[in-house]
This record gives sequence, structure tokens and C-alpha cells, in this order.
Amino acid sequence: MTDDVDLPPAGDSAPRHLAPGDVGLVQPHDFVHAHPFTFKSGQTLPGFTLRYETYGALSATRDNAVLICHALSGDHHCAGWHAPSDRRPGWWNNLIGPGKAVDTGRFFVICANVLGGCQGSTGPSSIDPATGRPYGSSFPFVTIRDMVHAQKLLLDHLGIAEVHAAIGGSMGGMTALLSAIEFPGLVRRVVAMATTARESTQAIAFNEVGRQAIMQDPAWNRGDYPREGGPRVGLAIARMMAHITYVSDASMDRKFGRRKKDTAAADAYTFDPQFEVEGYLRHQAQSFINRFDANSYLYISRALDQFDLAQAYGSLEQAFAPVQAESLVVGFASDWLFPPGQNREVVLALLRAGKRASYAELATDLGHDSFLLESDELYGLIRGFLEREAVAFDFAI
Amino acid sequence: MSQRIEKQTVDMRIIGEWVEKQARVLDLGCGRGELLDYLLQTKHVSGVGVDIDFTRIAACVRRGVTAYQGDMMAFLRAFPEKHFDRVILSRTAHELNRPAEVILEALRVGRALTVGFVNHGFWKNRLYGLVEGRKLRNSVYTTEWAESRPANPLSIADFEDFCHTKGIRITRRVHLLGDWKTPCPAFPNLLAGYALYDLAR
Repeated sequence: MTDDVDLPPAGDSAPRHLAPGDVGLVQPHDFVHAHPFTFKSGQTLPGFTLRYETYGALSATRDNAVLICHALSGDHHCAGWHAPSDRRPGWWNNLIGPGKAVDTGRFFVICANVLGGCQGSTGPSSIDPATGRPYGSSFPFVTIRDMVHAQKLLLDHLGIAEVHAAIGGSMGGMTALLSAIEFPGLVRRVVAMATTARESTQAIAFNEVGRQAIMQDPAWNRGDYPREGGPRVGLAIARMMAHITYVSDASMDRKFGRRKKDTAAADAYTFDPQFEVEGYLRHQAQSFINRFDANSYLYISRALDQFDLAQAYGSLEQAFAPVQAESLVVGFASDWLFPPGQNREVVLALLRAGKRASYAELATDLGHDSFLLESDELYGLIRGFLEREAVAFDFAI
Repeated sequence: MSQRIEKQTVDMRIIGEWVEKQARVLDLGCGRGELLDYLLQTKHVSGVGVDIDFTRIAACVRRGVTAYQGDMMAFLRAFPEKHFDRVILSRTAHELNRPAEVILEALRVGRALTVGFVNHGFWKNRLYGLVEGRKLRNSVYTTEWAESRPANPLSIADFEDFCHTKGIRITRRVHLLGDWKTPCPAFPNLLAGYALYDLAR
């Protein structure tokens, strides 16, 4: 995900966190699972922490929970503000809030940072109690399945046996889908956007370039680096390249054209940044390395590479066989990282498996990150899917 | 206007009678999902619609009809033989790019194929062209040429010839007069305003 949610300027009017439709000030919570956890790899952790946020109120019947699943570089802070002075709200603030498409007046929204992450959940940058040092490369290899199972333990802890919906884009779409596969009784509806049933060769290739940038940085030191140090150059390059895959030729051209920075005229024959897009990518990279751990990037991108439902379950139809949820998959015409065809294939396989599934496609030109788009069409689609009554599936008649 | 709404329900009435309870139904060109919604409620079918337009798909999703946005040929090719009990082409046949391909592919993935279409051989439609010399406009085709989707109008005679040539079995047929209600007693290609066929291979 990119970091450049365009915000209205912070004027002198009412504080942004008090705007109508905003969940306002929020704070994260920590769920500590103090029991051993075995990863798909067979490796174990003595326990783990998941950092999460919730918005809205859980109903007396505990049936209005909506699970938000974040993407590679996302986190648990998907709506609201941690402090009035925050530069921007949670990453999906445009979708989630009172009266918004995911209406917190109606739903109890939960979002947790994934296992292996670096925003408060246990990951490679966490301290290994056995050594007193960060796990680094000794952290167990994490898969999307491990993330889903850890998240299930959080839901158990919250006393939520069934979620009204699991919603996510990109990796979050994988997590949402896999939750419905691994825990069929847990998930009633799935909204998966800009996603895939199988990380493509091209996507693996991009991930590998990012990992190489990190691992070739001497400061990576085979994953063993102090918390405040590490391969900042490598992570920055990984982020710059990944960022390009989240947008599109058209959207970059619209945003930057070939415009040059003000200082560029005198510097035409240097390698200093001349074009606005260069400065933008550097800025993106800087903001990313200040909030993200390089080892987490390696682990989570590897988890994406491993994601292949057909291979894991024998076939896509077999993967989806246990699903009880109804699914809505949304593809975006300009997404070249997880293109529409890969989103369509998810729906076609669900339908072949006899499941209830819909596919809609938006013709935006913003690329992969279109799922974060401010779009009334997208909001209406999601609201319509979440708020209508469940279709009675009465085969007894 | 009320006549128009009544005409919109003709497929619901007739196809609703033909569809078996709990059948697995595919509606090609499902629009906003009215027909599937009706079949869902009256016949408890498990249905899916296909349409090319986002707004129509969103309307389906809102009313609880599962729907797929995309090309219907690509959709059909993604399914094994006889996956669906019934495929429906309700007032869609005249907008197909390659009608023969779609119909044959629909007969591969469906045990039955139901086609409902406006008969352009109907005498009033013939007369309109003769007298007005313009693109057909009436209570069903309300838009003028420039506002209309591309159409490949067909008649009962065209359709029966096609089925005969391709060896497609016609298991049921209903021809209705210009009111789309009264059964047509004779000379359907001239006297029927609307036709419904149930096909099999």
C-alpha cells in the first residue's frame, strides 16, 4: 500500500478527528497469547502478541463483528486517529466509520496487525525472550495461514465465534479468503479486493528484487541488526520499487507528468533528483523505513510468495470446498500486480465449487492500490453487500 | 408505462414455471437481477448472473443475487459440462456478439437453455419499419437509435432455423401475441410478439 492518502489540508475549522463519519480518537490494544504457537513450517514460538484496534460496539448477540485484514505494509490502525496532531488517520478511514460503507454505528470493526508484522504484533523485530535480543532471522517462517490462525485466537479471546464479514485488499484479500477456508463457521461474508488465489510469478519476481535490495545491504547483517538500525538503504529501495507496482503508468503520469523539481534547472546534468516522481519515491521510502522493519518485509513478502491455494489444497475447487461464506471479489482494471483475471479466477473457482460468489470490476486507473480509492461506486457495492439480509439457503424445501 | 412493466414480467411468469425447484441457474445478461431474485424467492434456486456493467452487478449484489461482471463467453468456458441445470438468455439474444457460439456453449454448460426474445417478425414490427422507415421504437424499445445499445434483432423463423441447422432440440416453446400474454394460435412468426424456447442437446 502506498502512504499517500490525499487529505484535505488541516485548516482552522473543527479538528479532523471530530469530523462526522469519523471514528475519532482510537487506541490500540494488545492480545497476548501466552501459549506455544506452532507455525506451518513446524517452528514454534512460546507465545505471541497481536496488536489490534476495534471501532463500534459489539452487539449483545456478538454477531456484528467485521474483520478488516491489512496488506503487506499495512497495520491494525485502519480508521480514526491516535492523536489530534496525527498527519493522517488510519489507512482505510475513508471506508470505515459511522455511516460509512463499513458502518461502525452498525458493525464492530476489528483489525489486527499480522503475526510477523512490526507494528506491535510479534515479529522478527520482537525480543526473543530466550536471548533478550530481536528474533531477526531466527523468527519462524510465517505463512498467510499462520496469520489467519493467530488472528482466530484473537477472535476467540474476544468471544467472537462468527464474523459478519472479513474484508481485505491485496494480501488482506488472501487473509480474508483463507479465514473462510480454514474456519468455515467463522466467516459469513468475504470481501476480497485486488487479490489473488496464487501469488503470480511476476509478483514473486518483484518481491525477490525487494528482498535482494534488503539482503545486499551490508547493514542487514543476515538479519541481525539493532532495533533502530538495519538495512535502511535496502529497505528504501525495496519500497521505492514496490510502490511503483502499486500504482499505474497513467496515475503516475497524471500525478507527476515529467514535471521537474524547482531546483532542477541548474542540475540537469547530475544524478540528483530532477523529476518530481524521483523526489516522491524518495519521500515514500523515507516515510516507510521509519515505520517498517526490514526483516518483517522479508518474512511477509515470503509469506505472499508461498500463497498458492490450488497447490496447498490440491485444486482451487478443493480449497474452496469447505467455505460457507458468501464472497464478493472486486478487481480493478488497472491493477497489474494482482490483475482482474486473477480476481476473476477466485470467483469462478468459488462458483465451480458451488459457493455463492460475486465479481465486480472498477475501471479506475490507479493500479493495485485502487482498493483504497475514494469511490462512491465502491462504497455502495460494499455497503450493499454488507447490509442486505443474508440470503436464506434453504435446501430443505 | 404499466404495459411496459407487465411486459418485463413475462419471463418471470413463463420461465418461473419452467425452472425446477432448487435448480442451479445461470442468467446470461442478468441486468439488475430481477429475474434471478424472483427465481430465488419462488423456486429457491442457487443462481448466478453475468453482466458486463458494474452498476447492474452492484444492484444484483444489493438485492442478494450473486453476479459476475465480465464477458459471458469467458465465463461459460470456465465451467465444466452440465454444471448448471438451466442457463437463461432472457431478452439478451439480440445483443450477443456471436449468438451461435454463446448458445452452443450455454448448451454445453447447461442441461437446458431457456431463450426469451422479442419477435422482430411480428407484423407490427414489420409494419413499423415499412411505414416509418426508422429504427423500431415502441413500449419495449423506448430509445432512439443514437441512445440504443447495438442490437442484432431476430425473428421466430430465424431462431427455429438456427436450432434446426445446429441439431438443437426444442423441448418447449411458447409464442405470445402482441400483448405478451395471450397464446398465439397460428403463424407465430407473423402474429407473435414474444417467444420463449426451452432447448437441449
